[in-house]
Amino acid sequence: MHTELQNLLYAADDHYLSDADLDQFQKTVHSLEERIETYEYIRDREISMLQPAADYLSEEFPGTDSKTLERAVMHWLSILRYGSMAMLCDNMEFLNHRILEWMPDLLEVYQLRDIEIAFYRLLQVQLKSSLSPAQMSLIKPYLEEAYGVLLRTKSTLQPSA
Amino acid sequence: MISVKELVKESRLTGNYFAPDAYIQGDLESGLIENRGGGRLLALPESFLRAIYEGLQEEVGSAAEPVLYKCGTWWGKTFYRRFAEEVSKSLGRPMADIDMIEFLQCFKQCWKTHGWGNIELDFDFYQHGFIVAQITNSAFAKASPTIDKPKCFVEAGLLSSFFTGLTGQKLHCIQTTCESMGADSNYFVLGLPERVKRAEAWLQEKHDHATIMERLCQSQMDRYLNLE
Repeated sequence: MHTELQNLLYAADDHYLSDADLDQFQKTVHSLEERIETYEYIRDREISMLQPAADYLSEEFPGTDSKTLERAVMHWLSILRYGSMAMLCDNMEFLNHRILEWMPDLLEVYQLRDIEIAFYRLLQVQLKSSLSPAQMSLIKPYLEEAYGVLLRTKSTLQPSA
Repeated sequence: MISVKELVKESRLTGNYFAPDAYIQGDLESGLIENRGGGRLLALPESFLRAIYEGLQEEVGSAAEPVLYKCGTWWGKTFYRRFAEEVSKSLGRPMADIDMIEFLQCFKQCWKTHGWGNIELDFDFYQHGFIVAQITNSAFAKASPTIDKPKCFVEAGLLSSFFTGLTGQKLHCIQTTCESMGADSNYFVLGLPERVKRAEAWLQEKHDHATIMERLCQSQMDRYLNLE
């Protein structure tokens, strides 16, 4: 569920929403329209945005077999999909539970760190050139969270409440 | 040449099938909790677990331990079968085509989502024929009424059956540390029965987990070199 709307729902447990709460509600609904547009944009251009990044990855790692590179690309396909859904719901916990708690061990075993870092940078370039600044600002926090948890340090996730 | 189109078409890009918000579902109207496969779930209150320990202690005394271990093995056998089916279905691949790391990652997440604590698996001793499982926040340790020795026999039984199913070899499991005794986590050692049962004597001598593992590995090396 959309985090902000959920919080407002809980806040109105025993009273009507205040004017300030209603303003927040309206802003959230407006933001939802932008998020839906961004989600649709990414969904419909998933392949065309990621293919150039995959091509550059092959050039950057010419000695690495394609199966290994494909594994890294698939990871980021998943991250982008779940990140987009998390963006749509304005819910970072969704991304945490579905991907970021799940993937670290897989990355460690397959030892794709350098390849994944490179692909992340290529992906950022592709997304920046395809999305509007407003759309980029919506999806960016989720991709940065994924990068931070999976590639920058050991897990920075806090246990969910 | 990587084809993203082919990757999207041929691969199932799944995340954590056992994510709690997705895996546990409920029907408030009928009072049901189910997993996402439609299997009914039952919540076990801590008082119920405590009652099992106390009731068994009252009825059968020290025989409670093998009884609980046996319960765990029965549970583990069917749990392994259901779990393997669920993972295979969720990943869209037969078991033979699933990487062990993916399978074990699913196992960890499943364990956590069911509220049994956190489980980590250590394969550092695999060369010597042992697998170590570390469980924190065990519900069984918490419900255990006494603090004189490790008490998570249900979990030990479950782990032995699960890994027996996974490896195709009959494995036994012994707990070496227990949260009920003040330890930070519960450690379990899995291996062939004739190898891992040696730890029972060292446990009675109150040796710690690290010492027990050292002795088990040394004992295996000695056997290999035919020094025993």
